[in-house]
Amino acid sequence: MYRKITGEKLKKWLAGLKAQAEVLAPARENGLWTYRNFDRQDFSPNFQNSHLPPKALFLESLRAMFEWKSGDGSLRLNPLSPPDGQRVIFGLKPCDAKALKILEPVFAGDYQDVFYLRNLSRTLLLGQACRAQCEGSFCGEMGIDPQDSADFDVFFRETPEGYIARVITDRGNALTGGRDFFGEASEEEWNLARGQIRGRREKHLFDLERVKARAAEYFPDETFWKRVSAKCINCGICTYLCPTCHCFDLCDLQMPGQGARFRCSDSCAFPDFTKMAVHNPREEKWRRYRQRVSHKFNFFYQNFQAIACVGCGRCVAHCPVNLDLREVLLEVAR
Amino acid sequence: MNQLPTKALAGELSIYQPHLMEIIRVIPETGDTKTFHIQFLDSALRETFSFLSGQFAEYSVFGEGEATFCISSSPSRRGHLEFSVKRVGRVTEALHQLNQGDIIGLRGPYGNHFPLDQLKGKDLLFIGGGIGLAPLRSLIHNVLDNRSDYREITILYGARSPQDLCFKYDLETWSRNPAVKMITTVDAGDKDWKGQVGLVPVVLEEIGPSPDGAVAITCGPPIMIRYTLRSLEKLGFLPSQVWTTLEMKMKCGLGKCGRCNIGPLYVCKDGPVFSYEEIRNFSSDEF
Repeated sequence: MYRKITGEKLKKWLAGLKAQAEVLAPARENGLWTYRNFDRQDFSPNFQNSHLPPKALFLESLRAMFEWKSGDGSLRLNPLSPPDGQRVIFGLKPCDAKALKILEPVFAGDYQDVFYLRNLSRTLLLGQACRAQCEGSFCGEMGIDPQDSADFDVFFRETPEGYIARVITDRGNALTGGRDFFGEASEEEWNLARGQIRGRREKHLFDLERVKARAAEYFPDETFWKRVSAKCINCGICTYLCPTCHCFDLCDLQMPGQGARFRCSDSCAFPDFTKMAVHNPREEKWRRYRQRVSHKFNFFYQNFQAIACVGCGRCVAHCPVNLDLREVLLEVAR
Repeated sequence: MNQLPTKALAGELSIYQPHLMEIIRVIPETGDTKTFHIQFLDSALRETFSFLSGQFAEYSVFGEGEATFCISSSPSRRGHLEFSVKRVGRVTEALHQLNQGDIIGLRGPYGNHFPLDQLKGKDLLFIGGGIGLAPLRSLIHNVLDNRSDYREITILYGARSPQDLCFKYDLETWSRNPAVKMITTVDAGDKDWKGQVGLVPVVLEEIGPSPDGAVAITCGPPIMIRYTLRSLEKLGFLPSQVWTTLEMKMKCGLGKCGRCNIGPLYVCKDGPVFSYEEIRNFSSDEF
């Protein structure tokens, strides 16, 4: 089902939703794009994607889970409620929405992480088609269409008159129903709204099927991993900026008479990630880099039948030593 | 706008929230190892909590964090749980400061367990080293509490020195039990030492147990496990007749936090108990 809306009406509609939900939309803050409370800001055509992935809105880098009060030898635990209240995020990109879906089975399954799952269920995802290829990105190679996605409730394509929306879920339908803001649109209008992507490569850099098929074969090749990880400085920025990196630590904060336990971001790039009392199975850098790539393109696929990478390009664009994951994948696929 | 589904959380703990436990006894095992006996504060949980030998739990010292230890008591002996801790880092150091009456947290039980069904009617060979006796001890007690289900039971246990032997009270009971063949060895004895002297795999080859209708279960320091597996192979044990437990750094214990994997396998969910056959086929050597 397709609907359309003018740019002005879209802003009015989003502003109206604020009565019922927290509404976030792209905004530039201190020169960097982020998702911020919607305040009728203009939507710049220059917005490509947020500097940080929106994962922290779902998998917070610091999430307090319970707290305790202690004294006189007694201790009382107090569970902290998972996040609450409805939320609407406008302007998310297909790669980042796919990442949220990829992570879902990790936090669902037989042990449900209610914090992540509640963040997913309380949020309506309104996506927006891309108009330019992001720096470092390889979404096409990863099978992601930057101008279409079923991982949203509603997905918008911009047109000179406003937007054509593809309504995907019942929630999205309910949200865009009524005659006040949206009008009906045809599939033809939707198809016409698919525009060009600036800077798009004619040909894929590598064949994902070959990466999948050969990732396990490359795993034991110590020489390969040593060579490709040689310039890595273990800064962990790739894991921090990655929309699918989700490894976490559980940490305590203790103050006099009280404390709390947090689930907080961690990184496989750090040497102490797997450090045990007398042994560290990934002490050497090449083993940690191999773990990151293999987790995404081999182990995660074996366990969840999905590749834990969406080709957003943030790790490529922001690596301080220009370690380009695309080059590594290209070599694996060769 | 549709109302989002809300999940009732009242009375339901998040997967990361531990149960409160009272320490009811602390037993010093060696200079750096202690065994803790703990009991649920919630009396209903004392009745309903169940686990299987080989499973582990996450133990909290509130303010210091969590650490992973196997449950070293037997599911056949209810009432309280036991776990043993060598002092090596932040949480274990904090645990060692605790006394009877202090409160800790426990999440679990997690992971798989020893294949008790496959042990029935077999000769059992337990091979332990140092604190590695802890998970074996759970299974040994479990098996001894149903002694008639099994044939010969041999326990080979080793430590660096007589002072480093854990669970001396168990070793003594087992050595007096006519239905158990108990061999204790140390790397270096002292003038009072009456057991064997020598490394576990060496002593194992000296005893030379027959692999016919037998299952070997081994746990200890990685280096001991490595050589013990070789010795068992030399004695004619098939990889499918040998079981061990593996150790990796864990945080969540639930297959989510992303660090205890050996290749695609997560020790917390796919382990910690593995057959030697599985280990031989691992795609990764990172353990």
